[in-house]
Amino acid sequence: MPSEAAVALDEGGRRLHPLTLGFSAITIARQMVWPALVGGFGLGDGQIARMLPIFAAALAVPALIGATLTYTLYRWRLTGDELLLRSGVLSRRNRVIPLARVQNVEVRQNVLHRVLGVAELRVETAGAGTEAEAVLSVLGLAEAQAARVRLLAHRRASAPAAVDGEAADTVERPAAPPLARLSTGDVLRAGATANEAGVIAAALAGLLQFADDLPLPFFEQVGDAVMGRAAESWLAFGIGLVILFLVLGWLISIAGAVVRYHGFTLAVEGGEMRKRYGLLTVHEASVPLERVQAIRVEESLPRRLLGLASLSIETAGGTPGQRGGAEAFVPIARRAEVGRLVRGIFGDADADTPLQPVHPAARRRLAFGYLVRLLIVWAPFWVARWLDVQPAGMLAPWMALLLPLPWLAAGWAYRARGWALPPGYVMARSGVLTRVTWIVPDRKLQTLHLRATPFQRRRGLATVVVDTAAGGRQAAIIDLGEPTARRLLHELTARIRAATQLRAAERIAREAEEAVARADAEQAVPMDAVSAAEGDAEPALASGSSSSVEVDVEAAVAMDPPSPVDVDLPAVAVDASSPVQAEGAQAGSAAGSVTAGPASTG
Amino acid sequence: MTLLDDDVQADLAPAEPQAPDERLDPRVELLWQVNAALGWIVWISLAAVALFVFDRSPAWASLMAPVAATYVMQVPTRRYRHFVFRVGPADVRVAHGWLWRTESVVLHSRIQHVDTRQGPVERMMGLATVVIFTAGSVGAMVAIPGLATARAEALRDELVRLSGTDDAV
Repeated sequence: MPSEAAVALDEGGRRLHPLTLGFSAITIARQMVWPALVGGFGLGDGQIARMLPIFAAALAVPALIGATLTYTLYRWRLTGDELLLRSGVLSRRNRVIPLARVQNVEVRQNVLHRVLGVAELRVETAGAGTEAEAVLSVLGLAEAQAARVRLLAHRRASAPAAVDGEAADTVERPAAPPLARLSTGDVLRAGATANEAGVIAAALAGLLQFADDLPLPFFEQVGDAVMGRAAESWLAFGIGLVILFLVLGWLISIAGAVVRYHGFTLAVEGGEMRKRYGLLTVHEASVPLERVQAIRVEESLPRRLLGLASLSIETAGGTPGQRGGAEAFVPIARRAEVGRLVRGIFGDADADTPLQPVHPAARRRLAFGYLVRLLIVWAPFWVARWLDVQPAGMLAPWMALLLPLPWLAAGWAYRARGWALPPGYVMARSGVLTRVTWIVPDRKLQTLHLRATPFQRRRGLATVVVDTAAGGRQAAIIDLGEPTARRLLHELTARIRAATQLRAAERIAREAEEAVARADAEQAVPMDAVSAAEGDAEPALASGSSSSVEVDVEAAVAMDPPSPVDVDLPAVAVDASSPVQAEGAQAGSAAGSVTAGPASTG
Repeated sequence: MTLLDDDVQADLAPAEPQAPDERLDPRVELLWQVNAALGWIVWISLAAVALFVFDRSPAWASLMAPVAATYVMQVPTRRYRHFVFRVGPADVRVAHGWLWRTESVVLHSRIQHVDTRQGPVERMMGLATVVIFTAGSVGAMVAIPGLATARAEALRDELVRLSGTDDAV
């Protein structure tokens, strides 16, 4: 029995504009131009060059057949609440995008598109990946625009402001004191403790290889000075050079920090973070707080010893093509201040919650892992000894002194690991040299994974991975006992549901309030409707029947303006008796599509 | 089955009816065996060519055959045995992996969109893969391979219907 979506596509599926074939042909021709030119004009020599146009033609024919088949088999359809796509010749793909998930719709035209009156329709959801979830290339312009209107009409009026850029319209308020402000001393400390110092030193040492070729009087002078005094002892010379480069690298790192972070401020106001920093190039940007997915507190070894840390604030890409990642950060902060900084961004997070250790068996597993790595490094030295290659062979027995290292390192790594579930958040910490603590809000969790390698299973351990929309990096709690991991997974699942329900309830309350307010402007309506809405939203949350809440809201908001008004938005959350609210919900939906329109043209 | 035996779940949420664990279509074993065999044939051929280039007898490549045969006979079977999924009232759970095990939980409210995909061999056998997308980063795609086409389509439609309307990001 074929599914609804399949039937819908079979019956009402539409093809792309026939000019799609023309554009495919252009693309294919473009790929064949160079070989044809090289061969055709005899730019290259010999048989092979003359054969190239023939090869090109031989490749072009199947490519064109492929393009024709792709076009012929491609189907798309906009049903009441879904966008359906079917593509592929050998490998088939059917995609269903619920319209409520559509974040952005773009009608894109290049010059040729304009001349021919066609356009590319790009539809994006919040889904992973940088490419749009649906690219309909090409459609007739009128068709593309009509599709855009229909797609946007379904987007909820309360879609995240980040996508619309509506946040920019908020009224400027008097500047609050910034959350973080770095003094010159702080910036110097940031540079002095940066990991880059070692990297720069290594780079400088690498540069030394070419020191003779470099017309840098500085290097020559330093070289002469060092050589003059210490040339008799190569060891002293080497050590001197290493120290010199470390100091140089350190100074460059400090200078770099001053240039980059001078005058750093991070302020939080009006639902946005605003960062401003830089000596020469001044960076200034604001990021809606709603897009923050997680905070990473990073403590490198030197910083940990000095009681310092840095924060990286991970966000989800907002606008199309934007990847997200660490869009905001605090380059240096005192460890004691971290709790305050985190609260500045996640109002209710307690980042100072004491962490629980992972399973003690993790220590043995870590030690074993480090030991295996040490043995892998050690083995070549024994081979060198056997082949009588010096000085590596000489070192082989002495490396036995390193044998306690795996146990020591395992101890450090084990103590670094920890996790906690403060209300509303997940915390996970790990890292031997650079210690990283993740603070992830429940409401931002996307998928949860429980993983176990064979080595973990041998010891009854498992890893819990919590995935957010932050670009690229995942928080994980490694080596929990399996029962604990399972319990955690369950707890987090329940928490995501609760967070979802809370948001749904809040949305209903907000929408009802807006609806009443809007109706209020037209005629005097008793305000008790609002309080009724708020009062009833709470039990809906408590009862745990969020799905019905969501469906009702969706039905109400996604409705086309001209359709009859028997909306049942308030069925669960709000008393439906007043027609004013249904009307208001309609107005909200219409307003949503209006404000959404211009945002997606860019 | 293995990871999905969630006694904790039973403790904490006794009121929730447990949806049954679902297995893949048994034919997926054959599909994976075909794919694995094709892969091994490519590797063995490459090894034979490399041996020929370096003036050794290509026959040595046949030493890989027993390994390949064991792999083809064993691994798909075990992968099939360890693949279980369940569409619950609030989430989809997928447990898979023989040596490296993973259990993924995707809440319905987090589903962004859903694909069904069919490679050429899958199409010949009437099998399809369902891919669930969330807004996450690294683990944003959860795939359920080897379902009969009709079941895959029904599952996709079910998941789309269940997918919530939370803002998600």
